[in-house]
Amino acid sequence: MEPALCDLKDPLINHAEGQLFLNEAFKIIVEEVLCKGTDVQQKVCEWREPDELARLLDLELRDAGEQQDRLLQRVRDVAKYSVKTSHPRFFNQQFAGVDYHSLAGRFLTEALNTNLFTYEVAPVFVLMETEVLRSLRQLVGWTEGDGIFCPGGSTSTVYAMNLARYRLFPEVKSQGLWALPRLAIFTSPESHYSVRKGAAFLGFGTDNVILVKVDERGHMIPEDLDEKIELSKSQGAVPFLVSCTAGTTVQGAFDPLDGIADVCDKHKLWLHVDAAWGGSVLFSKQHRHLMKGVDRANSVAWNLHKMLAAGLQCSALLLKDTTDLLKRCHSSNASYLFQQDKFYDVNLDIGDKSVQCGRKVDCLKLWLMWKAVGSSGLEQRVDKAFLLVRYLVDQMKKRDGFHLLSEPEFVNVCFWFIPPSLRGKEGNADYQNKLAKVAPTIKERMMKRGTLMVGYQPLGDKVNFFRVTVFSHLVSHKDMDFFLDEIERLGSDL
Amino acid sequence: MERHMNGVISREHQNIVSELMHQEDGSAAVDGSGFLNGSSEDMHAAESFLHQAMDIIIDEAVKKATNVNEKVCEWRSPEQLKELLDIELKDGGESESKILQRCKDAIRYSVKTSHPRFFNQLFAGIEPYSMVASFITEAVKTSLYTYEVAPVFTLMEDAVLRKMIEMIGWEEGGDGLFNPGGSMSNMYAVNLARYRFCPDLKEVGLYSAPRLVLLTSQESHYSISKAAALLGFGTKNVYLVPSDDRGKMIPSALEEKIQLAKSEGAVPFFVNATAGTTVFGAFDPIDKIASICEKHNLWLHVDACWGGAALISKKHKHLLKGIQRVNSVAWNPHKMLMASLQCSAFLVRDKSSLLQRCHSARASYLFQQDKFYDVSYDTGDKSVQCSRKPDAFKFWLMWKALGTKELEQRVDRALNMAKYLEQEIKKREGFKLIMEPEFANVCFWYIPPSLRNLPDGPELRKKLHTVAPVVKERMMKTGSMMIGYQTHGDKPNFFRMVVISPQVSRQDLDFVLDEIHNLGKDL
Repeated sequence: MEPALCDLKDPLINHAEGQLFLNEAFKIIVEEVLCKGTDVQQKVCEWREPDELARLLDLELRDAGEQQDRLLQRVRDVAKYSVKTSHPRFFNQQFAGVDYHSLAGRFLTEALNTNLFTYEVAPVFVLMETEVLRSLRQLVGWTEGDGIFCPGGSTSTVYAMNLARYRLFPEVKSQGLWALPRLAIFTSPESHYSVRKGAAFLGFGTDNVILVKVDERGHMIPEDLDEKIELSKSQGAVPFLVSCTAGTTVQGAFDPLDGIADVCDKHKLWLHVDAAWGGSVLFSKQHRHLMKGVDRANSVAWNLHKMLAAGLQCSALLLKDTTDLLKRCHSSNASYLFQQDKFYDVNLDIGDKSVQCGRKVDCLKLWLMWKAVGSSGLEQRVDKAFLLVRYLVDQMKKRDGFHLLSEPEFVNVCFWFIPPSLRGKEGNADYQNKLAKVAPTIKERMMKRGTLMVGYQPLGDKVNFFRVTVFSHLVSHKDMDFFLDEIERLGSDL
Repeated sequence: MERHMNGVISREHQNIVSELMHQEDGSAAVDGSGFLNGSSEDMHAAESFLHQAMDIIIDEAVKKATNVNEKVCEWRSPEQLKELLDIELKDGGESESKILQRCKDAIRYSVKTSHPRFFNQLFAGIEPYSMVASFITEAVKTSLYTYEVAPVFTLMEDAVLRKMIEMIGWEEGGDGLFNPGGSMSNMYAVNLARYRFCPDLKEVGLYSAPRLVLLTSQESHYSISKAAALLGFGTKNVYLVPSDDRGKMIPSALEEKIQLAKSEGAVPFFVNATAGTTVFGAFDPIDKIASICEKHNLWLHVDACWGGAALISKKHKHLLKGIQRVNSVAWNPHKMLMASLQCSAFLVRDKSSLLQRCHSARASYLFQQDKFYDVSYDTGDKSVQCSRKPDAFKFWLMWKALGTKELEQRVDRALNMAKYLEQEIKKREGFKLIMEPEFANVCFWYIPPSLRNLPDGPELRKKLHTVAPVVKERMMKTGSMMIGYQTHGDKPNFFRMVVISPQVSRQDLDFVLDEIHNLGKDL
């Protein structure tokens, strides 16, 4: 017997040590990330240049391990230099804030460490995912249907494209695109870039993504959609999918779903609604009208980690289909996972609906949060977000120097800050150039001070403007006042 | 209504707010009872809740789950389980204590994948340092597309990728990223290979391309087939190369298939070699395959999702000999190295920003070029995803804690365990090894006494085929252990034992064999 085999008698691992570390590290996480991270007295971010941060973190991976004290210090360092995305003054992305029930659900998900491909290895979560999807579909207006959680909204877009293609030409699964005519996809220039990335990835080619005109508020124009479809057909292509958006990334616009659905019905195209951002309005009786007509879609993407703070990733793809399309399209019947002679109903093994093999449990955090606050609690959060935005816009209008791009339809507030030196100078030749530099400078200043984080971007011919997304239920009107004051403080001398 | 730490507001509040919102001047309510006043969080209540939740997690999902005296699983039928969990989502909320009870229930009825007798999949066990890293990741809750919003994790992913590339042996360096699973990594390889073949296809699509062919072994993971379907190539354009009786791709057969494809007017462009096949744990001969790929100018990807861990072991890295010659590698630390799910790396031997060029869409709301820091740190456009989880950190912290040496010891131990199991199986009557393991997969039949005198033939095979499913059902209902079974080719159902976790001892392996016999001897 080899010497090493004698050592196999005892486990190599010291459980007590591991558990001690878990406990100690958790205390640090609560204090440094959660308490400090949601405290307005603390900074939103602790900016460091990449070189400096690399040094501070001592990134190198070595032969020898480290003591617990050192590791706990590392936990502190990670907390210190990470951006506090739950901070009431973090407005940079379409996720923010924290729900503590969801967080507990996420910790639990990590501790239970399993994959969602079969009932035998994830019984609780297979059932939970089914129930969550059913409840989400109900809000869309479907009493039946299918769905799955994807690792992100971009993947949901990819799935929708793949399903639409398979429905029209099932032979593509085995034959590839060579057996098909040239397919065309329609979307607006305000839609998420995952439509283009998806088109490249799936082999359609980005040239075959046809852009439909939008109005001045960023909404797809159904009449132009109809024209573009006719034009595409006349050129010998086969339109098969329209991807419209409920809550565009920058402006938060909601495409007119009923009008678009009419066009899709006429031409028999798959209608996908990318509601990754705006989908949560469906919880609100007051605001769900923004998605009127959504039940006419074939598929809806909805990311609960955005407006409702469920925690990355929580991206649902919902389908109206009841013909097992998802499974037929994706299955490969791997015999080492999906044995047909199991002792339970193998329809519970949902793995073959996915293009993934291992798939994370993303439903527990949402389920736990939903159980804790109920649909009515989630509705209140959505309604509160709209009220906060209304307040912010009212205040902005009262102050000099804040110039809205348009009245917000959702919770994206897009505006320019015009420093005093530029006010009244719109006629100057270099006005646009100067204005374009304002937002990046203010952004740099806010990050180096750590007081605030908000994003900026250009759009079409509009130069850099801020996009503040207000929706976290941790945010109050005081934070809105601070926001406006701070932008002024940071930019008045420009 | 109970005052809730997440700020569920009562009916009274709502009415006041509605009134105030209808004020003449249109201004929103700002007084003390106002909806908009102050954060609806009570930090003390939140902390208390989280501490209680974590106590439950540590007691039930960590301590008990790793205790050999507790069950691996608490089997319930779906109907029973739905009721026990009270699964339906409702309009109203619930108290903290109810939610904590729900956490306990979720744990109770979940499979304890960290149990010493969980051998069902290619992941198992518990790595507390990785788990802490995953808790931090959840608490920090950010996305890995830009340096500005994830500075720490951006640098960490880069450090981990560099180290993994160093272990592979690409001296000139490389590129990569972490993906939501190995299937995705394999898809990235196919996409990059297509892009390198003809970058224009990104815009014009596959229609005008010649028929492109992928090659992989018959033992490879099904994600190659799924990739072909998803990316528009079609599964029939995946040519399966036969493997030998040890499960390894036969290089001369690869050469034949390439020639076959060419003779049909098709264009082979991608070969997938597997380092550690799913069922047998076999390693394709990478060096020989690399020579063939170089000769024909084909992209060579190595799916080392399972077997990549061998690179850390001086004793076993020879299994991947030649890997420094390949174009791309998929390697999942969440498998043998026990990083928390998901932790899947995709690595490419390229310094020309191929990943970025292939995938970029340059969204102006994320990847502004006028940022105040070096925007080459924004990794988002390398990915097909937008938001991406900081998975590499789960590997980084555990590597810091354990060091390469300890990781190596674990790999060596896992493979020694497989050898031990192999020896024991050979000693025992009624157990028949399918083949000697090259890695950590030990595949064998259990033949109950009643079948031991039957000659090898259709009758034995038919009856043997029914044994494993019944033993599996019994082990799950008892909750004593979990092992997978499957068919393969024309072989009747057999068990696949995979030893990963260093918490598993010889006694556990002896137990497995004893228990299979206990559960199946009457069949």
